[in-house]
Amino acid sequence: MTIHPHDLTPGKIAESAACKVHMLDPVARFSLRAHEPERKAVADALELDLPWYVGDVAKTGETEVLNLGPDEWLIVAPEGQTDFASRTVDAPHALTDISDRELTFRITGPRASDLLTLGCPRDPDSIKPGQGRRTLFDSATVVLWRDGENDFRMDIWRSFAPHAVSLLALGCAELAAE
Amino acid sequence: MSKFRVAGRGRVRHDAPVSFTFDGRTIEGRQGDTVASALLANGTHLMGRSFKYHRPRGPVAAGSEEPNALIGTRRGKGQYEPNTRATMQEIWPGLTTTSQNKYPHLKFDLGAVNDRAYMLFSAGFYYKTFMWPASFWDKVYEPFIRAAAGLGVSPTEEDVDTYASRYLHTDVLVVGAGPAGLEAARAAASTGLRVTLVDEHAEMGGALLSEPHVQIDRLPAWDWLAEQIAELQDMGVKLMTRTTAIGYYHQNMVGLCQKLTDHLETQPHDTPRERLWRVRAGQVILAQGALEKPLVFDGNDRPGVMLAGAAQTYLNRFGVRVGDEIAVVTSHDSAYHAAFDLADCGSRIAVIVDTRALVDDALVAECARRGIPLKRSHTVTGTAGRLRVKSVTVNAVEGGHVGKGRAYKCDALLMCGGWTPSLHLFSHTKGSLKWDADAQTFLPDRMTEACQIAGAGRGLWGISAALQDGATMGAEAARALGRDAAARALHAAHDRPGTGASHTELPTDQPASRAKAFVDFQNDVTAKDLRLAVKEGMRSIEHVKRYTTNGMATDQGKMSNINGLNIAADALGKPAPQVGLTTFRPPYTPTSFGAFAGYHRGDHFELTRRTPIDGWAEDNGAVFEPVSLWRRARYFPRPGEDMDAAVSRECRATRASLGIFDASTLGKIEVVGPDAAAFMNRMYTNPWDKLAPGRARYGLLLGDDGYIRDDGVIGRLADDRFHVTTTTGGAARVLNMMEDYLQTEWSDLKVWLTSTTENWAVIALNGPNARKLIAPFVDGLDLGDDALPHMSVTECTFMGHPCRLFRISFTGELGFEINVPARHGRAVWDKLIEAAAEYDITPYGTETMHVLRAEKGFIIVGQDTDGTVTPDDAGLGWALGRKKADFVGKRALMRPDLVLANRKQLVGLLTDDGETKLEEGAQIVLDPDQPKPMVIVGHVTSSYNSDAAGRPIALALIEGGQGKMGETVHIPMPDRTIAAKITSPQFYDPNNDRLKL
Amino acid sequence: MLLIRCPYCDETLPELEFAYAGEAHIARALDPSSVTDEDWRDFLFIRSNAKGPHYERWRHVHGCGRFFNAVRDTVTDRFLTTYKAGEAKPDLETLTGDAR
Repeated sequence: MTIHPHDLTPGKIAESAACKVHMLDPVARFSLRAHEPERKAVADALELDLPWYVGDVAKTGETEVLNLGPDEWLIVAPEGQTDFASRTVDAPHALTDISDRELTFRITGPRASDLLTLGCPRDPDSIKPGQGRRTLFDSATVVLWRDGENDFRMDIWRSFAPHAVSLLALGCAELAAE
Repeated sequence: MSKFRVAGRGRVRHDAPVSFTFDGRTIEGRQGDTVASALLANGTHLMGRSFKYHRPRGPVAAGSEEPNALIGTRRGKGQYEPNTRATMQEIWPGLTTTSQNKYPHLKFDLGAVNDRAYMLFSAGFYYKTFMWPASFWDKVYEPFIRAAAGLGVSPTEEDVDTYASRYLHTDVLVVGAGPAGLEAARAAASTGLRVTLVDEHAEMGGALLSEPHVQIDRLPAWDWLAEQIAELQDMGVKLMTRTTAIGYYHQNMVGLCQKLTDHLETQPHDTPRERLWRVRAGQVILAQGALEKPLVFDGNDRPGVMLAGAAQTYLNRFGVRVGDEIAVVTSHDSAYHAAFDLADCGSRIAVIVDTRALVDDALVAECARRGIPLKRSHTVTGTAGRLRVKSVTVNAVEGGHVGKGRAYKCDALLMCGGWTPSLHLFSHTKGSLKWDADAQTFLPDRMTEACQIAGAGRGLWGISAALQDGATMGAEAARALGRDAAARALHAAHDRPGTGASHTELPTDQPASRAKAFVDFQNDVTAKDLRLAVKEGMRSIEHVKRYTTNGMATDQGKMSNINGLNIAADALGKPAPQVGLTTFRPPYTPTSFGAFAGYHRGDHFELTRRTPIDGWAEDNGAVFEPVSLWRRARYFPRPGEDMDAAVSRECRATRASLGIFDASTLGKIEVVGPDAAAFMNRMYTNPWDKLAPGRARYGLLLGDDGYIRDDGVIGRLADDRFHVTTTTGGAARVLNMMEDYLQTEWSDLKVWLTSTTENWAVIALNGPNARKLIAPFVDGLDLGDDALPHMSVTECTFMGHPCRLFRISFTGELGFEINVPARHGRAVWDKLIEAAAEYDITPYGTETMHVLRAEKGFIIVGQDTDGTVTPDDAGLGWALGRKKADFVGKRALMRPDLVLANRKQLVGLLTDDGETKLEEGAQIVLDPDQPKPMVIVGHVTSSYNSDAAGRPIALALIEGGQGKMGETVHIPMPDRTIAAKITSPQFYDPNNDRLKL
Repeated sequence: MLLIRCPYCDETLPELEFAYAGEAHIARALDPSSVTDEDWRDFLFIRSNAKGPHYERWRHVHGCGRFFNAVRDTVTDRFLTTYKAGEAKPDLETLTGDAR
């Protein structure tokens, strides 16, 4: 099954008794960078909680912040709710709008975790519900959020998405046929 | 029903007949049969011809170690597979199978003449027979070898099946579901660990399937087995049958190949044929058991001669007697039980020949009870029969002397030379082996992985021992993973472990030179070949292996390695452990290419990146080319146009009016932070301090070796923010290099890098009408030369979208690059095309882009540079911030080799005739008449027909070229030599007047 | 395929998430212009090519993105340890003593 980029519109991509893959509506997405000594000052200025451990997610209202590395956070917010981006931050940091860089897919269903094993060399169980990680899916870098036991979100660079999503769609059918 | 099928015996469903074909003949088997067991049930032993001598062969084993009974299977169109083991392929209605390596017919084969000419094919025959005359190699020898050698025929149709792969993380992986594996899985799973148990056969049970008489915990073996499997399932153990562990890699990574559909008549939807599992296990338990060794004697390969354990399996698992009148030759107790079971099912045992003088009294008594003639201290010196064994010659051995032979009639001859632990997977891990002198075999010794070996795989014989050891090792694995575990003790009754002796070739009264005593059945290697190899000077077992091909076939020495070693050691006069074993390599059994390819074939072969505007290009007839992982529109031919015509038109239209180009693939990196300019100063050759926000500059990136790595236009958006562009192919590499310096050399800098390549769709507009087209869309922004001069950038609103608008040019024409959020790229493009109808807007692709830039003498990194080109070589010395204390590559530019005058330098080339287009990559010489090999002074890097110049143009790297302006060089080609003049690389508008339009 | 512990994520993960990045502890001079041609050549091109424990750099490129250092035995392919960039070279004898 091959999915072309223009097929990728928000809504259902694939569904079976085993799992479902949906493309989500666009969100505002920012990359935030700051060194540890300035983390608190940046967090206070942005009025966001910046988690300390790699993989942890903090929520402030509807804004989610995922720690991707020692000096890196991914901020996701509903479109138009990005007040934090215009606040004054005196401490050294970098805030870059990457809203259009990735597309996001929600992967759910009783075998959602197994579906990821088609392309993800990391053990999905090493990501606890409520956490996220940057990792690999079928040779593409992705950010994988585990929102629940069987509920994942995958952020993937726009041009890599058709390839990865083709495999997810194929896997939906394959897992259901087992 | 065939007389060889034993009613009520085995695990096949006697009430479920299944028909398939073998060489066009319809064969009836039973549900649960393999092709081999079904053919044997019909009295057929002859299943193929051998590799070299085309000798008739039948199955010698009953499992995946089978070297002889290789068949072609056809499940449907595009579903032909050669070299399938008949002993592993399950039958189903309509399965089509064929024998292999026969011409014209299995029973009458012309290639069998090789057998008579066997003197020609002895060890190392490749190296001797075909030595001279040398001219015979291409026309005579190689075609002969290619025709004669090989097993099955490769499929020619495209494989219509699908293949899959998955990663699996498990605490404990148990390989082999015999008694040891079952108990190991249970012991580990009972502690709550995630356990996976795999077996290559259609059902679990291993040796228990062939030994139903055993009682475990007072239950018949098969009842106990059913109970165990159900309990393991309840415990959450992942059970996988038809799944072979093919390779054991670092840190407990084990590859599994699971066959999902080869045994099915109807292919289920959405189910792949095979799935490759990449398993990562905390602990691996190898419970693969042992393989039976053949005995080595003249005629041991005749159809009907097989391993005693295999005959026992055919009888007890499949309900098939392998013959009516059966002889047995053995050096081990276990063959007796095969004989007894067969005798009890109606076969006549003609004789049991035991090479040993002393045999367990109980076995002797059982022979006597059944009236089986037993010949101790005897040997077998030959067999007779053309397509099936008809008799065996048995001789007494007394004091080393072989007596007169007596022939026994038989239609099957069972042999057993003892058992060898299956060491293959263990050997993949480079675990070391130790020699067990009693068992005359190697056992696993020092482990390199978190691994346990249970049961016969470490030389423990019998069901009781296997059960006990499995439980022990399962508990051991669990403890290693921090669980509190205990092994349970089970009692097995009617167990028959036994002992035996080991041999090289069996003693014989025949001249050694005439004996065809096979060691490697699949490669037709005899004991004589091995001895000859040693005689001819091979000392290392690895050399003996390669000289004779022993153990090199698809069975990877499963049967031949130990016998081969024993014979080679004997010939060398060294003890076996000093000679050692050859290396076992993955995969354990032959594995399809499909399984390795998995999902990555057809459309999913490799990731293809497409820009947001790719769909428009596709709809408008673009011809694409791959650029790194991207596909980019190369040109947009109109009906009747070839590439040259289309590119010429696109170039002309762009310079005359307006061209539009999808530049979205350009790498983009946002450099942000208070130290952004400091970082840029260190990273790029150019000075950045004085670049004001809103301005852009061509940036040149070197490696610390001083050579050009990448380039691109860099815009300064704010004091602390740069928008860096890179080449399409260099994007990831450049970001990685920047991160490397930033993280490891300059970690004091407060600056961060973010890839924004895919955040923006980039539309380049070039041509005198570019400004006029975009003016209505920029929301009142002043696009004049003063407000937005060449090499500047502004953040604005474009068609209502946030936009980074660059005024830059890679073509020499007035140019703009419109960066809009990727999701809006297509809409903006469409609207621009629509609005620009009056300007004759022309979409152009990468080819036109290349021509337009070459006309201006702009380099393409990777095309005009090759990793050994410095900025001065490329004529880019002006881009060096020479006053800066340091930048990446600066120090190297002072190295002696990098300042030599005669370095290759980038220049223009114009062919003297004004018509010939040079070939990119063509070599350049100064004197066309010099003797060969000529002194090469450079090569052509770029070459195009230029519409603007009205003639072909080229760029070239030539030694000292910048000092040779106007000189003539020569480009020798196969058919002629082309003369060309060295010129400046700027062929068009050298004063850049057109940028100021 | 190896398993590699990322000292920043404190997780042991498949090699596929990582990229090799050459020998470790080869520092770029703070003032390259003061370095001799020979020393600069050595910095650029000369590597230890160790048989046995080797100090090397890896990047958790499909993860936290950090470069870090490792000691790996080039004979067995086994990692003896991994540690953050900037941390001192671990003592080899302690490491091999533990691992063997």
